[in-house]
Amino acid sequence: MEMNISTFAARVFEAAKAAGIAPAEISYSSSESFGASMRAGALEDYNVSERVSLMLRGRVGERIGTSSTQALDEESIDLLIRGVMESASLIETDEQDDILPPDDHYETVCNYSEALDAVPAEAKIALAADIDRRMQAADARIKPNMSMVRSAKETFFLRNTLGLDLSHTSNMIYAYTSALAKEDGHAATGFKLLWGYGMDDVNAETIAVGCQEDALSQLGAGRMKSGMTPVVIRGGTMADLLSTFSGVFSADNAQKGLSLLAGREGETIASSCVTLTDDPLMPWGMASSPFDHEGAATRTKNVIENGVLRTLLHNRKTAKKAGTVTTGNAAGGGRVAPSNFFIVPGTEALDSLLAQMGDGLYLTDVSGLHAGANPISGDFSLLSRGFEVKDGKIVRPVEQFTVAGNFYQLLKDVLAVGSDLVFEGSPVGCPSVLVSGLSVAGE
Amino acid sequence: MLSMSVCQEVLGRALSRGGTFAEIFFEDSRNFSMVMRSGRIENAAMSRPRGAGVRVYDGLRSIYVYTCDVSREGLLRTAERAAAAVTDTRGSGRDVVLAERVTPNAHRIERRVLDVPADERAQILRAADSAARAVSPSISQVNAGFLSREQHVIIANSEGLYTGDTRVYTRLTCSAVASSGAENQTGSENPGAMMGFELFRDRVDPETVGRSAAKSAVTMLTAPYCSAGEMPIVIAGAFGGVIFHEACGHSLEATSVEPGMSEFAGKLGQQIAAPCVTAIDDGTMPNEWGSLNIDDEGTPTTRLVLIENGVLKNYMIDRLNGLKMGMAPTGSGRRESYAYAPTSRMRNTFIAPGQDDEEEMLRTMGDGLYAAKMGGGSVNPATGEFNFAVQEGYLVKDGRIDSPVRGASLIGKGSEILMRIDRVGREMTMGQGMCGSKSGSVPTNVGQPTIRVSRLTVGGK
Repeated sequence: MEMNISTFAARVFEAAKAAGIAPAEISYSSSESFGASMRAGALEDYNVSERVSLMLRGRVGERIGTSSTQALDEESIDLLIRGVMESASLIETDEQDDILPPDDHYETVCNYSEALDAVPAEAKIALAADIDRRMQAADARIKPNMSMVRSAKETFFLRNTLGLDLSHTSNMIYAYTSALAKEDGHAATGFKLLWGYGMDDVNAETIAVGCQEDALSQLGAGRMKSGMTPVVIRGGTMADLLSTFSGVFSADNAQKGLSLLAGREGETIASSCVTLTDDPLMPWGMASSPFDHEGAATRTKNVIENGVLRTLLHNRKTAKKAGTVTTGNAAGGGRVAPSNFFIVPGTEALDSLLAQMGDGLYLTDVSGLHAGANPISGDFSLLSRGFEVKDGKIVRPVEQFTVAGNFYQLLKDVLAVGSDLVFEGSPVGCPSVLVSGLSVAGE
Repeated sequence: MLSMSVCQEVLGRALSRGGTFAEIFFEDSRNFSMVMRSGRIENAAMSRPRGAGVRVYDGLRSIYVYTCDVSREGLLRTAERAAAAVTDTRGSGRDVVLAERVTPNAHRIERRVLDVPADERAQILRAADSAARAVSPSISQVNAGFLSREQHVIIANSEGLYTGDTRVYTRLTCSAVASSGAENQTGSENPGAMMGFELFRDRVDPETVGRSAAKSAVTMLTAPYCSAGEMPIVIAGAFGGVIFHEACGHSLEATSVEPGMSEFAGKLGQQIAAPCVTAIDDGTMPNEWGSLNIDDEGTPTTRLVLIENGVLKNYMIDRLNGLKMGMAPTGSGRRESYAYAPTSRMRNTFIAPGQDDEEEMLRTMGDGLYAAKMGGGSVNPATGEFNFAVQEGYLVKDGRIDSPVRGASLIGKGSEILMRIDRVGREMTMGQGMCGSKSGSVPTNVGQPTIRVSRLTVGGK
């Protein structure tokens, strides 16, 4: 027999108390999503979902146990209680996420649009159809793939037996399309995604034109010559790298020997033009929330300020161990993660960065990040594509080469930061950056 | 679990406004995972994913709606949301009559993980952790994980199918970090199988796993960077098969073949690989990580020859892509969970054993690279371009393994590497991975004997 969440939570707290689990905390998320994809004038996929997940944490003697379920029924109450007891008996670490009363004050931040919730399915399907139509009408060299529109809404709530009772709701919509461009036996892929909180943020023309330009610009790509070369990294690509290596800024990783930034607060670890900010209170930020997964109030901070490491990202556990206070970055399960995480933009436009570089590589895309990048050593070696630059001007597309380097070194090698900060469907964003040198392996 | 009568009612409701096919996939799972870092257990948690997805074909279009509310009312509401999206109303309001089909189990499970005392489970992690740490004082961190999943499914469809299955998976993951203070290198081993706790009695020794991960990390710590260039490469078995999986396997899935986004589309019967290459995708291997009894559409799993002596023989096909392509499904419809509509996926995918001597292929290769352990990789299925990390590589000089090198990656195109394989060894071994694609992350085995590729671009420094 299914229960509603309030009844279920009350029953779980009751059962926890009877089993000697105190305090206890429930985190619960409830999400809805809609997705439609269109290809060659036909709606190909249509997906709707509603999903819940609930986690119980509770103290049993010295330790805090954890257990979770997606079923709000009698059997789950028993499973959660047994699970927490067993989990607490197995856990051996002393430093656990604690269960605490609420903070005194929480900021407010909005990343939920009521208007978006009211947009009917037909309008979202029409958007996918519009993008698809524009793709089908493109240049004969373009072979369109799927055009996709997706919207999502999530409510997260956290409630415990010490008076904590918080909830936050967010939503978003995104749309993208991809295509293959073919000419003279050569093929190149193109992609464009936009996201936001209303239909105006996901303009069909911008997406279709962006995707076609991306694919066509790479036709006839040559190879790069091997060697060290100065590089301008496109903002979205720099964000991919930053996202892959964001774990190096986790105090949890640092305390476990998995980051080389352990104990280096106050030291210069990057070029003086690099300021890296974590901003959970960014209005309309994808990862904005007034509280983290432990119920701690979140706040905006510079992780790197003009090249100097100011702080790592903490939850209460790592902060206590380091003798500081939480930065509000608890991500659940004892982990630490950034929220809206970005390199603060400078004043120079992309053209000016290319001009400053003179001859080199404009790196527009890297792939295989989960394989070719080692988040612990900082080493990366990635299949890449981009453009060769001569005298500050793009001269031709290049592909089938790898760019290798080390993330820690890359931060130090930044010569200039562009003004074009972008968040490409991710809470991690960057402007374009000029770096003094990366190793290219081509022909 | 979900009764036949409720399934019948839900499928009827899903087709109430038309549609040519309806299916329900119900899942109620019991998972247990445990993580040890720095020699201490940090996390241990049971979880119960549960939900159901209803799929309706509206012509050749898939409508998929899923929910965690699996009460009769919740499922009927879900079916109604799917029905509301149907545009072709011909044949609406059909009655669905189900008959139970019992799925025979080819993968015997001896010990349910959840029945094993907690401390015995913890012992597995302790063994892997301490063996890894004993390898060298430069091992600064060991991360060991124990994962088990017991997935109970019910699958019913409007063609009258009502069947169920239980899939049991157990896995040990171990990654070791070797540190010189200024630099870190990692090594990892992640063996698993479609087995219960007997995995650790029959196939996997946790100490060997820990030691192997640690040795790999230590070897790489002192290794110089690999220099870049084109060279011949010998790739060892087991996880070496990841190259075939990524660069060729994904391009043979109907998901990329049907829309023409694969470089192997339209090439059945053609020579796409060197004649020494035969490749197989086999879901029937007893107790293997990528095996199944039935796929996630209820179709019995198969052993499928993908490439025979270099000639493309078959694609991996799910039900919907089969309809679009006019070809029969191959039992390859898979999904991570009820939260995904199924699509064509790999199972245990490997290059079959060949005729060549492993010692000879090294001896006659001249200067090149020996990839003893591969890391992960990725591929663009449209162009076949791939990139793989070499977790443990060695320079070969004049036909002899010379010295370890780090930071190497292998770059190329799937169609090219298949043609350039010039040696295939005699003993095939497999490695376990989680393969991510459109229908989520599913357990798959990769595998091959030791093979040689005559020429490939190596990325390095």
